[in-house]
Amino acid sequence: MSLRVLNPNAEVLNKSEALRMNINAAKGLQDVLKSNLGPKGTIKMLVGGAGDIKLTKDGNTLLKEMQIQNPTAIMIARTAVAQDDISGDGTTSTVIFIGELMKQSDRYIDEGMHPRVLVDGFEIAKRATLQFLEKFKTPVVMGDEPDKEILKMVARTTLRTKLYEALADQLTEIIVNGVLCIRKPQEPIDLFMVEIMHMRHKFDVDTRLVEGLVLDHGSRHPDMKRRAENCYILTCNVSLEYEKSEINAGFFYSNAEQREGMIAAERRSVDERVRKIIELKNKVCAGTENNFVIINQKGIDPPSLDMLAKEGIVALRRAKRRNMERLVLACGGEAVNSVDDLTPDVLGWAGLVYEHVLGEEKYTFVENVRNPHSCTILIKGPNDHTIAQIKDAVRDGLRAVKNTLEDEAVILGAGAFEVAARQHLVNDVMKTVQGRAQLGVEAFADALLVIPKTLAENAGLDTQDVIISLKGEHDRGNVVGLNQHTGEPIDPQMEGIFDNYAVKRQILNSGPVIASQLLLVDEVIRAGRNMRKPT
Amino acid sequence: MREVVTVQVGGFANFIGSHFWNFQDELLGLAGDPDTESALSNHGLNMDVLYRTGETPEGVLTYTPRLLSVNYRGSLGSMSSYGTLYNQNPELLSPVATWKGDISTQRSQPYERNLFLRSLYEEEQKQSVSIDSKRQANSQDETQDKDIVDCLENGVQYWTDFSKVHYHPQSLYELNGLWADEEKFNNYGMGKDVFAESFQGEEMAERLRFFIEECDHVQGIQYVVDDSGGFSSVAVDFLQNIADEYTNTPVLLYTVRSPDSFMNPRNKKRNISQDLHNSVSFAKLSSFCKLIVPVGLPFLGGSKASMHLRVNDEKPYHCSAVYAAALHSLSLPFRMDLLGPTSSSISNSGALDFNSLLQMLSGDARQNMVAILDATLPAPTIEEPAVESFLSKLQPLTPEISEDMEDVHSVESLVIHGALGPGERRASVSKIQQAIDAAYEQSSFRPRFCHLSAARCPLPIPLPFPSIFSANVGNRGQLLSSPGSNSSSKGSLDVHSIPMAARLRSSSAVLPFLSNRLENLRKFGVQRGALGGELLKNWGFEKEELEDMSESLASMVKALDPYTDVSSDSD
Ligand SMILES: Nc1ncnc2c1ncn2[C@@H]1O[C@H](COP(=O)(O)OP(=O)(O)O)[C@@H](O)[C@H]1O
Ligand SMILES: [Mg+2]
Repeated sequence: MSLRVLNPNAEVLNKSEALRMNINAAKGLQDVLKSNLGPKGTIKMLVGGAGDIKLTKDGNTLLKEMQIQNPTAIMIARTAVAQDDISGDGTTSTVIFIGELMKQSDRYIDEGMHPRVLVDGFEIAKRATLQFLEKFKTPVVMGDEPDKEILKMVARTTLRTKLYEALADQLTEIIVNGVLCIRKPQEPIDLFMVEIMHMRHKFDVDTRLVEGLVLDHGSRHPDMKRRAENCYILTCNVSLEYEKSEINAGFFYSNAEQREGMIAAERRSVDERVRKIIELKNKVCAGTENNFVIINQKGIDPPSLDMLAKEGIVALRRAKRRNMERLVLACGGEAVNSVDDLTPDVLGWAGLVYEHVLGEEKYTFVENVRNPHSCTILIKGPNDHTIAQIKDAVRDGLRAVKNTLEDEAVILGAGAFEVAARQHLVNDVMKTVQGRAQLGVEAFADALLVIPKTLAENAGLDTQDVIISLKGEHDRGNVVGLNQHTGEPIDPQMEGIFDNYAVKRQILNSGPVIASQLLLVDEVIRAGRNMRKPT
Repeated sequence: MREVVTVQVGGFANFIGSHFWNFQDELLGLAGDPDTESALSNHGLNMDVLYRTGETPEGVLTYTPRLLSVNYRGSLGSMSSYGTLYNQNPELLSPVATWKGDISTQRSQPYERNLFLRSLYEEEQKQSVSIDSKRQANSQDETQDKDIVDCLENGVQYWTDFSKVHYHPQSLYELNGLWADEEKFNNYGMGKDVFAESFQGEEMAERLRFFIEECDHVQGIQYVVDDSGGFSSVAVDFLQNIADEYTNTPVLLYTVRSPDSFMNPRNKKRNISQDLHNSVSFAKLSSFCKLIVPVGLPFLGGSKASMHLRVNDEKPYHCSAVYAAALHSLSLPFRMDLLGPTSSSISNSGALDFNSLLQMLSGDARQNMVAILDATLPAPTIEEPAVESFLSKLQPLTPEISEDMEDVHSVESLVIHGALGPGERRASVSKIQQAIDAAYEQSSFRPRFCHLSAARCPLPIPLPFPSIFSANVGNRGQLLSSPGSNSSSKGSLDVHSIPMAARLRSSSAVLPFLSNRLENLRKFGVQRGALGGELLKNWGFEKEELEDMSESLASMVKALDPYTDVSSDSD
């Protein structure tokens, strides 16, 4: 997909032309992303030149699919993508907010106002709005027993902007439980400890939480069990394959026997390592029905597999690095790097280990673990683009829950914050500002309304009616958001529509910065150049 | 089994790869074919080294390259990134199973398949109807073949345009939209964030793991990177990841350049940027592999290597074919049966595995990890009186090397395959060995050590191979004394196979290549007030790292030339 908003040769334009170009580019990008916003937004299906399909309702994913060449658009897109990297959400809002700041400025600049004045006003408004955000936020206490209901509502709000309701609601519980599973008191949440795994399935769209781990490979020996109960789990990073040791310089002149001898010696040391593992297995399993499973980050070659299979051991090789950590968190024990560290203490435990085969794809489920601190969200979908889209949504949901736990606060959604902040700026802040910078504050305030306006527009409602009734209801002293079905004001608290505090703060921080740079056009062009090519 | 997994990163690397896999595919197609010369149909090479056996969800068996190809989105032309075998029929089922609201569809202009790809597709359809009707050559087919050759000569845009290979869905990885002009993706800095951004590195690593996990005993990774621009840094980050993950798996790295990547450095600034790019890119790439082979001449068409070729430097389709042929030759020893150093089979001799090759060239007496690639295509006939000139026909495909340096410490690995003997008969493996031994005996200069691998199987020339042979090349690659009246170049319709030789050489002849990189890094990057200091900072390099890099380049130079003074002349 190709987006050429404008002529990319920004450098040669004079100042006012360049400013105009910036405004148009920002508007252009806003136009592309606008229809994505909110639970009534449009999903985009991108069909590539060779028929490949990409499905997305996410501003972030959409931007990355685009071939953007205009330097202004690139700057905005970078900001929006950074928004997602930092806070996990809010890309679409960022782009349309920046676009709207530029649009509002456009009006004043047309009337002869100097961009500098607007920028000063933006700065004042930004600070005031951030302060207001602190007052407006809804604190939530997240002690040892987090409020699961609020977490579910936050997750549901984001998920419903990406997936249809029933599907979103099915995922909500899974995602909250996933994050709570890996959360450890007094430690930052590491979302990587939630593995996201997918499987293709003819018709189903289905997702489930596996308390334990799903690996995308299986054992590589025909005699190994496909299903084993009561398993000791050995998580290790030990080479169990023959690797030729460093050959001396004379190698090429040496005879075949010498060569054979070297190979045999190396083989012996591999066998020795395998034997040590077998010893440990015999120690812990002897006289019981228990099983023994090795999950190794390094390779295991066929002779080693043979030896292990003969002892009834199940062995997987080349596990993902991250799964070493996950396995230990899920099953207990320790990951070992050397067979010298083998003791019963390093072993983890899983009640059930089984393999699932789909064509050439194999999956190993490690389940019924005792005290999981790592888990897997397993997504099933009929094709890659469906799976990819659900995966994106799951990532968003996980971030939203993590943010809430860390922020210990949420923000009422459905445009409620934007309406309240706008009224605060206009009614309270503007009068404290001297001179024409007031107008910059006003422009900023009006730009905030682009969020409820766009939500209304995407729901097929009349934006002016909606804004009038929201402002009215707000001025009667209520916190109000938009009911996307009726256009009536609603109380987002009652409806359980909550956005992340961190996301909102980030949008408010970065939007005006970029808009200001784009308005002070000389700096913009240089900044754009610095980012993209050497000087 | 000793598998080799291939990684191709960037534009020209994938062009080379496309030809490379076409050769393999051709060999697979000819295997057991009764109408084909036995040297080709019964080559005795173990194709499983490069290929994997798989199965689609529908249960159809597949045989596809152990390959991960990386390029930016849009570079696959009319080929789906899922490849052609594991068809997902994406639009058959309800297209959007996740959203009940509005859907907007944006279709890119569909890429037209060219005549070649259409005929491949049709042939496949036909084959699935009746398998026996294969090869019923009639005049209609022939005219079509000519049209196909013409259409490729004039219209190749993407590497997929001339590819006849089925790829696995994990093989073709596309990076996100570039957000810049393609032409601006021309330096190390442009690619520096690509690997880390939005799980891209993770995805690449996962796909590679898919291919490595199934290997019983991977002997190494053959890694080809277009290092002319931003893909250098993508490749470096990926290599670093590989070095961490597969510490004991050796990497053989080919850095490749098309002639057009050398063209028109406009002004001085761009020159510094290019020079610095070359230095930095080489220093970083070499730090994560066992052996690095720079490939690609600024003027391939006019080079000595193109003596019997007519290569158009402006066509990546042409140039990549030459390099791919050389890479193919070099890969043969990895696929011969390892029978020990003394025994040999009828088809092949001189098997080598990755480790031994890399050890021999780089690990031996002196630690030189940069090898020169030489090749001759087609290789001359090995006939008694002319034998000693055989070695002099090998010409470098590595740039910036000194041509007349005779390094008595040099170590070489030479691969000859499909050589023709007296009477244009296919020479036996032992004949080749004898001839080469004799050639070394008679030659005035001898390297310290040379390993020879020989195979009977020539390079097969598949239909989509470009028309780059000069008129004096015969249908089996022999050099004709009377080229006939037609003076235009010849292609796959006239030439069906060629004898080839390629050589990796660890020699001090590579010194200019190294010193250029060292000097430029010092002059423009490290010295106080260096012109490129700011630039390198933008590319993400700190002073300390730059000093380390120039240090390691200096020690590479020193290893080859102990008497040179490489001590830094700044402060
Ligand atoms: N049920 C709802 N009704 C109205 N607005 C909603 C609802 N759920 C979410 N929103 C609003 O949708 C916006 C987020 O939309 P989304 O498509 O996720 O864009 P972004 O990429 O900016 O996060 C937020 O302003 C949020 O308050
Ligand atoms: Mg969102």
